[in-house]
Amino acid sequence: MTKAGKREKRKYGKPGGKTYVFRLFVAGNESNSAQARVNLARICEEHIKGRYKIDAVDVLKDATAAHKNNVLVTPTLILIKPLPKVAVLGNLNDTRQVLAALRLTGDER
Amino acid sequence: MNNQKPPYSELETKMKEAEELIHALRTQQVDAIVGERHIMLVRLKQAEENLKSSRNQLRALASYLLSARENERAVIARELHDEFGQGLTSLQLGLSWISRKLTPGQKPLQEKIRSLSATTTSLMRSVKSIASELRPSVLDELGLVKTLKSEAREFEGHTGIQCRFKTNTAKAKFDRSAAVAIFRIVQAALTNVARHAHASRALITLMKKKNELILTVMDNGKGISRKLIYGHDSLGITGMRERALALRGTFTLGGSRSKGTILTVQIPLSRVITGTAS
Repeated sequence: MTKAGKREKRKYGKPGGKTYVFRLFVAGNESNSAQARVNLARICEEHIKGRYKIDAVDVLKDATAAHKNNVLVTPTLILIKPLPKVAVLGNLNDTRQVLAALRLTGDER
Repeated sequence: MNNQKPPYSELETKMKEAEELIHALRTQQVDAIVGERHIMLVRLKQAEENLKSSRNQLRALASYLLSARENERAVIARELHDEFGQGLTSLQLGLSWISRKLTPGQKPLQEKIRSLSATTTSLMRSVKSIASELRPSVLDELGLVKTLKSEAREFEGHTGIQCRFKTNTAKAKFDRSAAVAIFRIVQAALTNVARHAHASRALITLMKKKNELILTVMDNGKGISRKLIYGHDSLGITGMRERALALRGTFTLGGSRSKGTILTVQIPLSRVITGTAS
């Protein structure tokens, strides 16, 4: 495999890799929540296309789910699978940090 | 096999979570706080924008009030000068006329006229001084630089505090309202020097530097506390700050016991100088 090919593989991971399950806690269409929805969808499409599932929970409609998951603020993103669970707070604007937190950088994928 | 995590691991995770929460709150990336019974929406950005807008409205109002006050002062000064000044001059002339008509035998009357004449002269001086305080005619006639020079001289004369004025803007032509604002700032600053600083020397500088006009008023007195600088009851300081901000400028005031007090106002040149005097 060429160097470029290896780099490409590292960047995008294997086509049939693990499936990622996210739960995103938002507050209606408040600005940070809306940004978090858009950012998460973009990150998933760019990095784990076809291998992700997003379950969005609106805390204004379902506060119990937030309690059960110990969510204190919105937006909060929880990576349910693969384990271990990870929570990321905020509007997910900082793609690099989000990728690092979700273990989606380098060979870890 | 020992699977037990080190005791600090959980604490470390909690700390990390807390840090992340603080970061999210600080960077305003949070829009709701989920409580046990209630969910509180946090519209920080919106609240900040509302606050900014209210602050701008207040600033515009303060600026309008300052300019209205200056206009009002000008009207009162003119009325005082025209009405009272002329009235008192006529009175003085009348008293002189009566005095000339009196015979040497009417001594008590002569005394009375002399006393009334002295009172009239004193009143004329007061009216002139009040009018000049309300609207320094010298500012309109001679311009800002000469007015500040004269203000420094008068301040030294009244208080005994040595006062110098330095500038590199002698040829500049100032916008009328900006000149009034700068003059009022200097007046207020000098009043504070006289009242509170316990200083023996004061220096006023008005310097053009790049795209800014920098006014400083410094003294060698006892300095000023932060409480006084930012106190809501420091009306003189608030007034000076408002005048500077109305000209899109900045206002800083600082000092210490060893260095005295220094007031600095920086205003964009475009807001102050309209050209060069011929």
